[in-house]
Amino acid sequence: MNESLAITRFLNEAGETSHFIARFFRQWFKPRFELSEFTRQCFVIGYKSLPLVGLTAFIMGLVLTMQLRPSMIDYGVESQLPAIVGIAIVREIGPVITALIFAGKIGSSIGAELGSMKVTEQIDAMEVSGTNPFKYLVVTRVLAATLMLPVLVLLGDAISLYGSYLGVNIRGNTSFVFFWKQVLDNLSFSDVLPAFIKSFFFGFAVGIIGCYKGYNSSKGTEGVGRSANSAVVISSVLVFILDLIAVQVTDLLNLY
Amino acid sequence: MAKRIINNIKLGAFVAGGLLFLILLLYMIGKNRSLFGATYVLKARFEHVQGLVAGNNVRYAGIEVGTVKKISILNDTLIEVTLLVDKNMKNIIRRNAIVSIGTEGFVGNKVVNIIPSKQPGSLAVDGDLLVTKKAIDTDELLQTLSKTNQDVAVIAAELKITAQRLNNSSNGLWQLLNDASIPQQVKASVGNIRAAAVKANEMVSSLNIIITDVKNGKGSAGMILRDSAFANNLTDAVSKIKNAGTGADSLAAQITNIVNGIRNDINNGKGPAHAILRDSAMVQKLNSSLYNIQKGTDNFNQNMEALKHSIFLRGYFRKLEKQKMEGQNKK
Repeated sequence: MNESLAITRFLNEAGETSHFIARFFRQWFKPRFELSEFTRQCFVIGYKSLPLVGLTAFIMGLVLTMQLRPSMIDYGVESQLPAIVGIAIVREIGPVITALIFAGKIGSSIGAELGSMKVTEQIDAMEVSGTNPFKYLVVTRVLAATLMLPVLVLLGDAISLYGSYLGVNIRGNTSFVFFWKQVLDNLSFSDVLPAFIKSFFFGFAVGIIGCYKGYNSSKGTEGVGRSANSAVVISSVLVFILDLIAVQVTDLLNLY
Repeated sequence: MAKRIINNIKLGAFVAGGLLFLILLLYMIGKNRSLFGATYVLKARFEHVQGLVAGNNVRYAGIEVGTVKKISILNDTLIEVTLLVDKNMKNIIRRNAIVSIGTEGFVGNKVVNIIPSKQPGSLAVDGDLLVTKKAIDTDELLQTLSKTNQDVAVIAAELKITAQRLNNSSNGLWQLLNDASIPQQVKASVGNIRAAAVKANEMVSSLNIIITDVKNGKGSAGMILRDSAFANNLTDAVSKIKNAGTGADSLAAQITNIVNGIRNDINNGKGPAHAILRDSAMVQKLNSSLYNIQKGTDNFNQNMEALKHSIFLRGYFRKLEKQKMEGQNKK
């Protein structure tokens, strides 16, 4: 009984989310584009996330390099350290770590912001005053999240590789130019492009889940906290599910 | 409003930075794949490409000049590899350059090596098929190595047996090896050999002199070999010896006849010889006769002694003795 209730609740949620996504796409193509609000959201979502993403990416690159070094020495391929770290960062670690940080920072802030607007009935007031609240609040945020995450991922990759360069140089000695040559020699389009494309989906997932949870929050201030929390949890899980789908698709397309 | 513009500028820089990195990444990868920049195509055919894939590097004398564009199977034993080579190499790669598949390091990626030939040749143009060389396959290498190992193992086992035998033969070879006098003896032997060689040398030179003498007709041997008159004489002598031989032959035949006749006579009881050899009564008679003769001789000796001492003949005997003594003194 309890299980079937959970299943129906889950399916209801999934259906509601799908409706929300469909509504987003319908609203997106309708005129009166909230351009200035979109750029403001891009600034807040993208630019303001850069220090956090940069810090985590830098640490990830440095730590990954230092953690891999002993095993690489065991196999006698220490010289291949830049190559393997480069591939790991560009293909997987850069997009996923950045998306998770992004989900934690942006998903929660969107969920809390829209949730508080919802429970204080600001959204209803907006509708009364003639502004399309969905366009103004949801479309701009989701689009900003979708477009900003890939940029963040790219910059995160760059910072992460720099961290890796420093990590290589803690024990070894490699010139910056040679490090980059080794990284780039072992990268191919099939490493960079799938990672780049999937980060759009990650950004979209984080934005749309945050907006959905905030837009549909209820039960006062308690509901705001809950929507912020569930936005982070669901978007994080979705990032991993999308990653799984992405790797299956790239495998099917023989992009390895 | 001013703050908004600043924010927009920051956003623009942020996005531009991200996109710049993406473009840089894609450009560098594309450059590595020879996607940008002018290239031309060269082809090579192999029986076995050993895991070469599209995108592997192409090296000319160790320098990276391009990538593998495509690998296609022509038939069951022939694989065509299409190489994308930098256009700058058009004035360098010649048609007789040799293409082989190698490895970066021992377990690294496969590479295509273009090795220039030392012979002159025309420049390779777009689409040319280059000569290939079968590369050393790691599998074959390992197989050969394993075979070598087995051989070495067999040899080592036999060597071990030999060494054990050497060790066990305590009074044979070891003694020989440990004997300190052997080197000296060997040294002495070598000295002897050297002396012998010197003597042989001298002998040879003197032989040489003799031979030259002989050639020039000096000495008896030379005369024998060189003098034609002597040769004629020799021929005469030889023919005479031959005649003598023939004479001797007929003589021998006659003697044989005589001997045969005698033998017949002897056997058939004719003549005195038969009587001597065959008649036993005759033998007794002969014996008694010989006895008589001995007796007679003894008597004769006594008579002669008596004669020596007789007055008439003593002088003669003394004379004889004197002559004998003088002969001895003269000597």
